[in-house]
Amino acid sequence: MNRGAILWRVASFAVAAGFIGLWQLIANLKLVSPVFLPGPDRAWASLVRGFSSGDLWSKLAGTLEHMAYGWLLASIAGIAIGAIIGSSRTMRTYVAPSLEFLRPLPVSAIIPVAIAMLGLTQAMALFVISFGAIWPIMLATIHGFAAVEPRLYEVARSLQMSRLAVILKIALPSASPDILAGMRLSLTVALILSVVCEILAGLDGLGHWVLLSARAFRSADLFAGVILLGVTGYVTSVAMSLAEHKLLAWQAAQH
Amino acid sequence: MASAAKRLDAVPGTPAPQISFDAVTLQLGGKAIIENLSLGVRAGEFLCIVGASGCGKTTALRLAAGLYQPTGGKVNFDGQPMREPRREIAIVFQDYGKALLPWRTAAGNVSLALEAAGMTSAERPARIEELLRTVGLPGHAGKYPSEMSGGMQQRLQIARCLAQEPKTLLMDEPFGALDAMTRQGLQDEVLSLVAASGATVIFVTHDLDEAIYLGDRVIGLLPHPGRIGIELAVNLPRPRDQLSTREHPEFLRLRRQLFDFIKATEQ
Amino acid sequence: MTAGSAKALALPLAVLAAFELGARATHLQSDSLAPPSDIVMALFGAFADLSILAATRDTLFSAFAGLAIGTIIGLAFGIAFGISDTLNRLMEVTVEAIRPIPSIALLPIALIALGFGYRMEIVIVAFACVWPILILSRAAVRSIEPRLMEVARALRLPPAQRVWKIIIPAALPRIFVAFRLSAGIALIVAVTVEIAINPLGLGAGIMLAQQALRPDLMLAYLVWIGAIGYALNVLLVVAQNRLFGRAAVSGDGR
Repeated sequence: MNRGAILWRVASFAVAAGFIGLWQLIANLKLVSPVFLPGPDRAWASLVRGFSSGDLWSKLAGTLEHMAYGWLLASIAGIAIGAIIGSSRTMRTYVAPSLEFLRPLPVSAIIPVAIAMLGLTQAMALFVISFGAIWPIMLATIHGFAAVEPRLYEVARSLQMSRLAVILKIALPSASPDILAGMRLSLTVALILSVVCEILAGLDGLGHWVLLSARAFRSADLFAGVILLGVTGYVTSVAMSLAEHKLLAWQAAQH
Repeated sequence: MASAAKRLDAVPGTPAPQISFDAVTLQLGGKAIIENLSLGVRAGEFLCIVGASGCGKTTALRLAAGLYQPTGGKVNFDGQPMREPRREIAIVFQDYGKALLPWRTAAGNVSLALEAAGMTSAERPARIEELLRTVGLPGHAGKYPSEMSGGMQQRLQIARCLAQEPKTLLMDEPFGALDAMTRQGLQDEVLSLVAASGATVIFVTHDLDEAIYLGDRVIGLLPHPGRIGIELAVNLPRPRDQLSTREHPEFLRLRRQLFDFIKATEQ
Repeated sequence: MTAGSAKALALPLAVLAAFELGARATHLQSDSLAPPSDIVMALFGAFADLSILAATRDTLFSAFAGLAIGTIIGLAFGIAFGISDTLNRLMEVTVEAIRPIPSIALLPIALIALGFGYRMEIVIVAFACVWPILILSRAAVRSIEPRLMEVARALRLPPAQRVWKIIIPAALPRIFVAFRLSAGIALIVAVTVEIAINPLGLGAGIMLAQQALRPDLMLAYLVWIGAIGYALNVLLVVAQNRLFGRAAVSGDGR
């Protein structure tokens, strides 16, 4: 980063600090009832208290666990199913239209069905989160597999590569930019559905915590939880960017 | 001119051809792309195929590679019918940009062929280094194809094909997209590589000078449908030389003959 | 019917037929599944007593109101950030700090501030819709042909007219793409809020059907919600093609 960029960054942080100051001012002057709006000082104090008592750690861990299991399951299943459908022209003609039809379905509508089948359980949450997160990954994989350069398949044929080797060495790496983009989208979906499932099923996690705080009108704890959820969204998305950057280094060389 | 086709591998005492087309016909969508094509290529021969665009020369090469199956007649390799591509026949595609794996480095692209042949990971690095050196890419092992010039990418594709240790090397206008200087350099390198490995080569090009310069024999195809129109034996001394070979009276005579043929097919 | 659409329909029809036959053969008794014929009957029933239509109205009202508010806010900021690089750089940290908050996490805040009902749902939908509109309209404004901006300057158009006559029309195809994406998000968020907590609309309807142990009605709601999602998407894609042709599509990936 050059000096100009650093200066802009500093200025940008100053502006953000200004907004937090404004928020503090509004809270101090009680322009909005403190029942609804705690100042940043109270939200921060709640964060510090929550982490030092270990309470928030366990809530955060709960949410991360729901999110991670659902997302990983969705990634594995989505890539596997997507690879099967995407690598066969027959499967694509018969299955892909149904998937395109299902895609705009608001995935949360599956929650009642999952509750009816599995009850208010961890299994229900895992099913809902992975069901929601599988779509972007699966569709991206199908697209990526369908878009592999045909010439590469000819190279594979003239090398007499096995079907498995073609998938692992040609199709999968070729589709990896699409797949990773799908996995990035799914990460957001997984976080949102984790929160919804925790709210609905009372599962241990930040979603449940913010709901309880709201019901008890503990607005400082509520804001602390929401801030933590924002941080979770931010950190996971940055981690995903770094992983993409590393895995797709060969793409940066292009252009 | 049509009488030229009858002379095909009719020289007595020559061994059976490594690749033979026996009255091969290929129809795609009801249209004959290649019709009744017969031709034999001896082991170690360097055969060049020229012709106007749309004459089916690339199709003929793909038939030889086993990427297409003829709808009539037979393509044989070492006396066996070609049912599918085989590792001992390597093909160098014209569009090197599409035929290389962009996510693998130069070393990785060469490695693909070695992996396909079942070479252990312990043996590979030394072989990869040797192959990259052979094609003039030492020190570029860690580069991605996108970081290389067109000429380097084509060298890399050739290295991958050599890694197959092919009996036959099929080349589909491999230098068509390269500038003149790079092309001449690569022509000489291919000649010396082939001389060293003893591989049979079928080389498709639209550049008549290139065909005569490289080949032991040049075949000119007639279009719609593709069939043999002219066949010329190239009796120029080897090793060939960019200056003296191209000034050789025989070179000029062949060039004239081939040029007249192509001109006639275009009318 | 073309061969292609016949092939596309083959799988869903086969699944439905197998499900129907299987359910009939085993005299299915379940709290979570029902044969397709029962689902269709339940859907007709819900239409007949108008309950599903009222729920649809409530959900679409919340979704569209939130979408409208989110679009206006997102567009205002997006255009401002697109025009002024200074503003964009100064606001960068603030935007990046708020954007990753999952919209549904605002639910408890909206709940205590606004209570149950349309308002809290609309606020959450609006929050979710702001971001795609902001990001994509900012990119759209930035990619406007510089010549056009020079023309605006040469004509000495005042800033308001510059926005209205040059920037918005030039960026409109790509802004519409953002709108289309946000409309899908609006429906998803509205239904999600209703399922999670808010006692109105289709989301509440499907939850009630589940709690009443009416799998036929629950699945009828599911099918109907899917149909609305699909119809909304088709409608907006058609509108986009009609209004902007290929121009909007080519701007999609950038």
